[in-house]
Amino acid sequence: MFWRMVKGALFRQKGKMAMIAFTVALGASLSTAMLNVMLDVGDKVNQELKAYGANINVMPKGASLLDDLYGVREGGGVSDKYLKESELGGIKTIFWAFNIVDFAPYLETRVRVNALEDEIKLAGTWFSHHLELPTGESLDTGMVNMKNWWDVSGQWLTDQDTDGAMVGSLLAGRGGIQTGDSIRITSGSQSVSLEVKGIFHAGSDEDEQIFVPLPVVQELTDREGFVSRVEVSALTTPDNELSRRAAQNPKSLSIKEWETWYCTAYVSAICYQIDEVVTDSVSKPIRQVAESEGAILEKTQLLMLLITVLCLVGSALGISNLVTASVMERSKEIGLLKAVGANNAPVSWLILTEILCTGITGGVAGYFAGLGFAQIIGHSVFGSAVDIKPMVIPIVAVLVFAVTLAGSVPSIRYILSLRPAEVLHGR
Amino acid sequence: MGMLELIDISKIYGSVNALRNIGLTVDQGEWLAIMGPSGSGKTTLMNIVGCMDKPSQGAVILDGVNISKESAKNLTAIRRDKIGLIFQQFHLISYLTALENVMAAQYYHSMPDEGEALEALARVGLKDRAKHFPSQLSGGEQQRVCIARALINYPMLILADEPTGNLDEANEGIVLEILRKLHQDGSTIIVVTHDPEVAEQAQRTVVLEHGRIARIIRNTSPGPGAGPSL
Ligand SMILES: Nc1ncnc2c1ncn2[C@@H]1O[C@H](COP(=O)(O)OP(=O)(O)OP(=O)(O)O)[C@@H](O)[C@H]1O
Ligand SMILES: [Mg+2]
Repeated sequence: MFWRMVKGALFRQKGKMAMIAFTVALGASLSTAMLNVMLDVGDKVNQELKAYGANINVMPKGASLLDDLYGVREGGGVSDKYLKESELGGIKTIFWAFNIVDFAPYLETRVRVNALEDEIKLAGTWFSHHLELPTGESLDTGMVNMKNWWDVSGQWLTDQDTDGAMVGSLLAGRGGIQTGDSIRITSGSQSVSLEVKGIFHAGSDEDEQIFVPLPVVQELTDREGFVSRVEVSALTTPDNELSRRAAQNPKSLSIKEWETWYCTAYVSAICYQIDEVVTDSVSKPIRQVAESEGAILEKTQLLMLLITVLCLVGSALGISNLVTASVMERSKEIGLLKAVGANNAPVSWLILTEILCTGITGGVAGYFAGLGFAQIIGHSVFGSAVDIKPMVIPIVAVLVFAVTLAGSVPSIRYILSLRPAEVLHGR
Repeated sequence: MGMLELIDISKIYGSVNALRNIGLTVDQGEWLAIMGPSGSGKTTLMNIVGCMDKPSQGAVILDGVNISKESAKNLTAIRRDKIGLIFQQFHLISYLTALENVMAAQYYHSMPDEGEALEALARVGLKDRAKHFPSQLSGGEQQRVCIARALINYPMLILADEPTGNLDEANEGIVLEILRKLHQDGSTIIVVTHDPEVAEQAQRTVVLEHGRIARIIRNTSPGPGAGPSL
């Protein structure tokens, strides 16, 4: 009988119930969209901000000091300090491995190119290097991802192109070098001939350099298995007082503080963790970029949270208006139920069940509409699809429940205070 | 001692004295009519007897229990178990069929029983309209559904506030006929009415004026059909 009454009420008042369902759907769809985008925005913003390049520089111990003090542009093999190429996979195994978006090692040296007079910086690197990690995972990392804003005419090198080179646009202009040309590179007594596969415009002093696969430079300089520095692009949390103290000296923290710091994606914590896995390395944040990435991410997420909360409050208010109006319209019916012997609890439960059924219908519809919104936001704001996170389902379910219940409070109070004698004898 | 005793009842709404010092006893199986001009307190009295309101003063003894002191929750239970209500505006639930309207009263009383509910509709001559919605029924038919609903839980007291007020003469006749039968079967009935013809059917008529009992008329000549022939 109970369900017959619920069913009757739902089907005979389709219009009103549809309005309530629609309001719930609106709230649910916006929260679904916002939550999905919010949970995915880390990756999205990160993909966006990666355009600004690496935010951590990993150097061998002695070399980094020199660099810091003198802003040195190293001469041919100025430092005899190197990092081991074989250890670099470890960067993807640190505590904050998932925040490491990309990294690329460099082995740099100064060479002569063709007949040009000055020495040119030649960098060996990974373009899109496949790594098998000891953890069993594998990944591809390197310049192609990290410098994705480079404007390349011709094509990117691959790690197999050991007889190819990419030349910076300024250097190419100066030396009259074009894609397809062959250039002669001389380092000391050694010399190789390479084909120019691509000419890039980076908008930085890299435009004066030549990039080749790492093994080429290792062979040329007799440094097999070594690299001179690594650029890392990591997603970080903005610095605060704790992280700044830690950056000065991690040992100054109490154990508890140290744990908090280590387990937060501060750039200093990530640097510290990189130094733990790469022997004799010193990681330094390229601070400005690292901070703005985290800050933008946090602000975007806060904004979305705010929109979600506001829109939920809005739909709770809407529901409460609609439900209260509908219940007041049905005051005679409710009075009648009370008159034939229904207590407050069963009457409230009946109305609540109706509203919840309506709310659930609206919630389910809203969820799927929200997935659509999320994709629209993804495509219009980030230019890519938003990953659908299953954990949004329980969150939205709880929110729909809470909002529907909150919206029903005034009508339930009305039901409790309704006295049958007052509504049944129309005055 | 009657099954319903009103002892010196008054009801005051702010400055309005809706009922003043009413004393009345209704016996088991009696049919009582209440008449009086508009605003004389008829509905107020019915609400108090029907456990939907409490007197400001005085005592109401229903079936040996003083209901003027009970909590709202207990009043609901007493109303559910002992009283059948018939309204001038029928108050059927629009989205339930005639049958379901009757069953709703069963549901809140004990257990819905479709067979029994159909039987109640049969008693008011509406068995074949069981699946119809109130909007598909005439006023008279709706009132008969309302009566079937009032009867379904075998109340000891039936209260009808102007049951024929919204009906034409033909339907009024049908409803009166049903009430008459109920009375013969031993039900105790209190009817509020403006219609002398309806009042005539009762054994006694209480006339209210300004919240007071002005007079009580004992009907020596119950109307047609009230005799033992039925
Ligand atoms: N809830 C209330 N608040 C204030 N005054 C009320 C209330 N209910 C009834 N009254 C007043 O009490 C008096 C009696 O009202 P009641 O409804 O009992 O009259 P009635 O005899 O049923 O009239 P009618 O024949 O028009 O139905 C009226 O003056 C009415 O205005
Ligand atoms: Mg009245």
